[in-house]
Amino acid sequence: MFYRIAGQYKTSYGADYALFPIKQDAWLLALILVFAFVVFPLTASDFMFRALLIPVLIYALAALGLNILTGYAGQLSLGTGAFMGVGAYACYKLITIFPEMNIIGAIVLSGFFSAAAGVAFGLPSLRIKGFYLAIATLAAQFFLLWLFQKWAWLYNYNASGAIQVPNTQLFGVTITGAQAPVLAQYFFVLITVCILTAFAINITRGRIGRTWKAVRDMDIAAELVGINLMKAKLSAFFVSSYIVGIAGALFVFLWRGAAEADLFDIQLSFRVLFIAIIGGLGSILGNYLGALLIVALPVIIGTVPAAVGLPISSAMVEHLNTMIIGALIIGFLILEPHGLARLWALMREKLIIWPFPH
Amino acid sequence: MNARPDHSVLADQEGSARDDLLMDVRNVSLSFGGVKAITDISFDVRQGEIRAIIGPNGAGKTSMLNVINGFYTPQVGTITFRGVERRSMKPHDAVRQGIARTFQNVALFKGMSTLDNIMAGRSVLMKRNIVWQMLWRGPALREEIEHREKVEEIIDFLEIEHIRRTPVGKLPYGLQKRVELGRALAMEPSLLLLDEPMAGMNLEEKEDMSRFILDVNQQRGTTIALIEHDMGVVMDLSDRVVVLDYGKKIADGPPDEVKNSQAVIDAYLGVPH
Repeated sequence: MFYRIAGQYKTSYGADYALFPIKQDAWLLALILVFAFVVFPLTASDFMFRALLIPVLIYALAALGLNILTGYAGQLSLGTGAFMGVGAYACYKLITIFPEMNIIGAIVLSGFFSAAAGVAFGLPSLRIKGFYLAIATLAAQFFLLWLFQKWAWLYNYNASGAIQVPNTQLFGVTITGAQAPVLAQYFFVLITVCILTAFAINITRGRIGRTWKAVRDMDIAAELVGINLMKAKLSAFFVSSYIVGIAGALFVFLWRGAAEADLFDIQLSFRVLFIAIIGGLGSILGNYLGALLIVALPVIIGTVPAAVGLPISSAMVEHLNTMIIGALIIGFLILEPHGLARLWALMREKLIIWPFPH
Repeated sequence: MNARPDHSVLADQEGSARDDLLMDVRNVSLSFGGVKAITDISFDVRQGEIRAIIGPNGAGKTSMLNVINGFYTPQVGTITFRGVERRSMKPHDAVRQGIARTFQNVALFKGMSTLDNIMAGRSVLMKRNIVWQMLWRGPALREEIEHREKVEEIIDFLEIEHIRRTPVGKLPYGLQKRVELGRALAMEPSLLLLDEPMAGMNLEEKEDMSRFILDVNQQRGTTIALIEHDMGVVMDLSDRVVVLDYGKKIADGPPDEVKNSQAVIDAYLGVPH
């Protein structure tokens, strides 16, 4: 009903490369952006920002990074949490060593540290594939976590062993630290995520994205059409870890405010992996849908039953959350391995031809 | 069919003296441990011809193609391609030099559309770096559109417009073979290696594929080396045929000559060695 492709003709290949070949998609995105940039800031409470909106964006960004590696380039990774940690610790060190440095500069640079770590731990991918590579990245996860705990220089020899985010300002507004207004933090995260998503979309639909997908689908054939496997795999590790590192820096600097090494443990890696799987591997949109589901679920379980007069304990919330997410993952792996993004794509196809069956 | 110069007169002479030589394979031997896949094979491919490599199963035909495009490194022998001699190279370097190939079992990127598969074939020819790609403006977009035009020509040529957006995993076998040919053509090769382009096809699909192979050879001027088991197709299409058996060359020449060679008849009918 809303989706009609009749009358929308392309007369050049340039027009065919528009981000939204169908006008209605562009309208839908515009609507979402209006909500994100105008409606939420005007209506949402501090709790909404802290518990829902900011974490959804940051988790979606981390999942986007992982999705580039796993969903597009087909290299399984279990080290996402540690690479987020590299981004966070790098940003912390940059800010404390160069206090006059702009927070944007620090975050942009910190991504390069995690990208370098990603490439280093991605080197085994040149030799091994699949589960064996996952084990190699697992080594990264444990090694880096150990490093965060034992290398005191990283957390400036704090007695607590934790990093405490200093106050930084941007255009006269406090952006990080305890006094930062949540609205400013939300906008900072939102804009960062929007820019990186746009970049990710462009990379994945161009030449580099095609080489990644070719490596994922059949690496021998990819090599025989002239794709340099080493370059393709390592560039995927680079881009993926860069985005994951930025997500890690945002995670600590604009959401948690402080972090211990344990924050970046394997649980975090799995959480991001679940978001990518439930959202849909090989899709950009899926990361947002997955993050929305995974982050919103505990919030909904924690607030809705209480609101309708059915108070449940916080331990119960935790258990319910674990059970539902576990069931969802099993369900998705069996029924729709391409995740929520595929469900949306199917729905859209149906809407385009509605009310006819085909 | 044959408007091209007749090669038969010179067929058995030493190839290296000719100036229309595209590739010269010299004394190549390849073994895997104790198994000798190829033993001392020499043959040449001339500019603009269709060269067939035939032989019974296990004769070493596919191994020969794998040697030519750098997937295997022969223990002995050299390959001279466009005047450059080499023994070992990476497959992606072979593509850069202008050698493209298709596979016996379709080796497409199943999760990608027909268009993306063929565009992936042009990866080597595209230059813009990741920064331009990220922005998707200016040079990157221009490059993309430029290559898209070339790819659309190939899609048009192979008559696969209707499946442009279909993921290739969903296509029937015959069309997959055609997309694979398209992907190889997208590399703009000067030598195209086809590994059993007609395996498992029905008569009509074979006729279509034969027509495409001839068109590629005549309109685009691409030199073709093909492996095929359908003798009717081989004899009709090719200018010269090299016959392998148990990793050795047993005949080399124009189709008519090869057809009547006693060694070839023995190899196919199975005379005790």
